[in-house]
Amino acid sequence: MYALPVILLTRLHQYAIDARRKNRTWHYFAWSGVAALIATVMFLLATTLVALLFYAKLWWLAIAMIGLLLLPIVGPTLVRHVLVPLGAYRLAYYLGWACRPGKDPTAYGLVAAAWAQAVKPIGAGEAWVALRRDKRIPLGDAEVIATALLAASRGDAATARLLMRSAHMLVEIHPMVRELAGEWLACDAAERGAWSEIAEDAEAARWPATPLTYFLEGVAARRLGSASAPSRRELWARWLLAPHRRHTNELRDAATPTSSETPAAHEAQTNSVDAPPPDRAPLPRAIAAHLAFSTSAPSLISLGTTVRAWDAALSDGATHGWLGRRALELDAPLGAVDRALREIATVVTDQLARIADGAQLGAPMSHGPIGDGLARRLRHGRLDNLEAGFTRWRDRQHDGEHHAAIDEWREFIALQTAYTAAITAGGAELRRLAFPHAYSTGTHMAAWLWNTRSEYALSHAISKWLLDEALAVGDTEAIELGHRNCDLYVPTRNDK
Amino acid sequence: MLEDNPFFVLGLPADTSRIEIEREAQKLLGMLELGFADTKTYQTPLGARPRTPELVRAAVAALRDPYRRLIAELWARHAPAPTTAERATDPAEPSHPGLRRSLGWGP
Repeated sequence: MYALPVILLTRLHQYAIDARRKNRTWHYFAWSGVAALIATVMFLLATTLVALLFYAKLWWLAIAMIGLLLLPIVGPTLVRHVLVPLGAYRLAYYLGWACRPGKDPTAYGLVAAAWAQAVKPIGAGEAWVALRRDKRIPLGDAEVIATALLAASRGDAATARLLMRSAHMLVEIHPMVRELAGEWLACDAAERGAWSEIAEDAEAARWPATPLTYFLEGVAARRLGSASAPSRRELWARWLLAPHRRHTNELRDAATPTSSETPAAHEAQTNSVDAPPPDRAPLPRAIAAHLAFSTSAPSLISLGTTVRAWDAALSDGATHGWLGRRALELDAPLGAVDRALREIATVVTDQLARIADGAQLGAPMSHGPIGDGLARRLRHGRLDNLEAGFTRWRDRQHDGEHHAAIDEWREFIALQTAYTAAITAGGAELRRLAFPHAYSTGTHMAAWLWNTRSEYALSHAISKWLLDEALAVGDTEAIELGHRNCDLYVPTRNDK
Repeated sequence: MLEDNPFFVLGLPADTSRIEIEREAQKLLGMLELGFADTKTYQTPLGARPRTPELVRAAVAALRDPYRRLIAELWARHAPAPTTAERATDPAEPSHPGLRRSLGWGP
């Protein structure tokens, strides 16, 4: 009977936290207040009970009560503010587990340990966390996020970013772990000044928001001048709710919309940099555009300008006339003009393709010697790379070379990223050409991971991605199979 | 194309005659051998580039061939004027370096 109020309060507290995770409006503050109030009541009751038990010399029961009643309330705060800054990965792991956030407490413990390791990286810590991660089969979001934090601890932020984002594809959801992933991504984007990334994540509600994430989302929305941006007063409220206020007050004060950071202004700036003067003849104009494209940050707009300028220059009568006249004056061999035009087209296409490939730019719409050649080059190069990547993946499985589940996931993520980059650059045509390779290998791998390795979440993520792609290209056979695979029940640790 | 265009390597305009090209090349080779500081670089629309005797010899050889001179002229004649500016660097820098660490997320 005495346990009933405790259970009720615990349930209420969990309910308030869950409700907060689903909201990004004033409800967020309301549920935060409710959760804090319940936590305070629980804390006072628990400390009173523990003190009474110590007073009655029932110290063993008092210790049990600390673990049972106090740790779930103060555990996450201790992990964040004490154990993680100290780099105490072992303690963070066990305390994270003792907090019992949900049906799979080890997930939070694992990520807390990886977080502590990321803050104060040591080799032994990384090995310890990796060992605990590998013991957890099948793979879920906690293992992927812990791996991302280990990558961050080695200074590999790009891999960490990619892995964190990939956790979104997995059906096993640990809200407390996802909150931390969202916070890491928001802090990382804020550090890089990538405010649009934070705003996009907030718009799509990809990750449950911690108070710090919620504050950074507010800063991003205000900096970008978004319609849903919080008022100055609301931003202050978010700032007060978030930790590390000493470090975030500058962001709060600077979070006023500036014209230079709005996308429209940026686009206008890009246009003004890339556009060559309009009064030039086609050939000097093309060379100037080419120089501007080669020496500044490549963009789709500048690539388009350059390609169109070259197509115009190489088809221009004045260029042909000048080449013909000079060929005669220099006593160049017969056919020198056509040969020169072909050579210039090849050299220019090679250079533009190399830069466009490196910057993952698509071929711009321009018909001419450069536009057509570039489109062909980019499409074939990207398709060949994708085909080779998918074939390697399949061959490895065929040869019986099994990797750890996390490595299988990393390989899939790398291929999926390459595929997405290729189709973003190559458009619908490339997507239709690339999908059969992805489909045949992906389906095969998904079946193998499900049937042979019991990696259900991983297999489901691959099937779900293939289904989305099949819907995009309209492949009916693949859609049918994708629906059948995705409708399968996926066992996760949260079902226990 | 532009970086190693024979006319830029020799520091000559695109309408220079063959005799002037040969004379300038001999002069440059001599000065390079004597280690004149001014001759150790040449200007291109992409900025300054190092000049070597091999580059000078290759430039003269290219301009002796009518077809290769035609290509070199096309680029040199229509390119913007050479600049002394160095190669452009990526201006992108972290907006708030070290923010992730100060917000409790490590390196």
